[in-house]
Amino acid sequence: MLRLINVHGFFWLLLAVPAIGMTIGFLRDPVTAFDLIHPSGEFSVRFMIMAMMISPLRALFGRQRWLDWLLARRRALGVAACLCGLLHLAFYLYDMGDWGMIAEEALIFSIWTGYAALAIFVAMGVTSNNASQRAMRANWKRLQRLVYPAALLIALHWVYVDGETMGMIVHFAPLLLLETARVMLMFKRRSARSGTGAVTG
Amino acid sequence: MKFAQAMLAVAAATAMQFSASPDAFATGKMKCDAGPQSGWKSRTDLEAKLKKDGWTIKKSKVDGGCYEVYGVTPEGQNVEAYFHPVTMEKLLVSQRGKVIFKK
Ligand code: HEM
Repeated sequence: MLRLINVHGFFWLLLAVPAIGMTIGFLRDPVTAFDLIHPSGEFSVRFMIMAMMISPLRALFGRQRWLDWLLARRRALGVAACLCGLLHLAFYLYDMGDWGMIAEEALIFSIWTGYAALAIFVAMGVTSNNASQRAMRANWKRLQRLVYPAALLIALHWVYVDGETMGMIVHFAPLLLLETARVMLMFKRRSARSGTGAVTG
Repeated sequence: MKFAQAMLAVAAATAMQFSASPDAFATGKMKCDAGPQSGWKSRTDLEAKLKKDGWTIKKSKVDGGCYEVYGVTPEGQNVEAYFHPVTMEKLLVSQRGKVIFKK
């Protein structure tokens, strides 16, 4: 089992399980589209947060084998977040079933934040391959950094569409803690460096 | 778009949203103090009445001591609506978190 999870293809398959399950549920009974909006959105957020946690973890713990393992799979996590986001949109569109109403709702804050985040996800998703990475050079990294505003948009989307904050906070807390620790560490290192700099001249 | 500009744009949009509806969180949900459930009207009756009025019901449940209904209004809006379980009075209707009716 442990060896199997090291196979990249298997890891991709593992991440696809929720999406496959939800799609089967939908095909069996399309009325469930309404109930599937919530879990598909949540899985998208979860994959995004897992992908985003790797970088602060590395800043805090340095090079570790388990972090290298995760880093090698970050692209899979990001693409899974994007695909679950698209599935979420598909369930939403099916449930709405009326383009006029879909257009009307798109102007509501809780909904356009979702579209804006998904646009970023899609841009990142379609360039998540080595060829794009080479062709875009430094712009590729710039595009990847848009995941931070996307995360903010999704946090707002969640809170506003739901009318309560708890679910969002529970999901985002680990990431927020890690990012805070990373920033604190950065400042500590910086002040330590400028401190020694002052002594030596 | 640069990273800082993107973050700034999101922050500005959020600030605008807050100034437009500062109580958006507080009003998205509703609480009812309707006494013991034995005195409540049945949820099936509420659904039947709403259907007669032209609503489509997706789901209904008890939330915050009120009846909460997910559905489509006769005007075609997808909403989350709160009703008093004894008087059946409509208390609050929100469309994707945006309050469109409040008693
Ligand atoms: C493409 C535009 C999007 C639209 C139109 C949209 C629409 C919606 C709607 C209508 C709900 C409410 C579901 C319900 O009440 O059961 C919802 C919930 C949610 N959405 Fe989205 N969404 C979009 C994009 C996204 C993206 C990209 C993510 C995540 C990466 C996301 C994450 C969530 C989450 C976590 C919830 C759960 C909130 C809850 O019901 O507790 N959404 N979305």
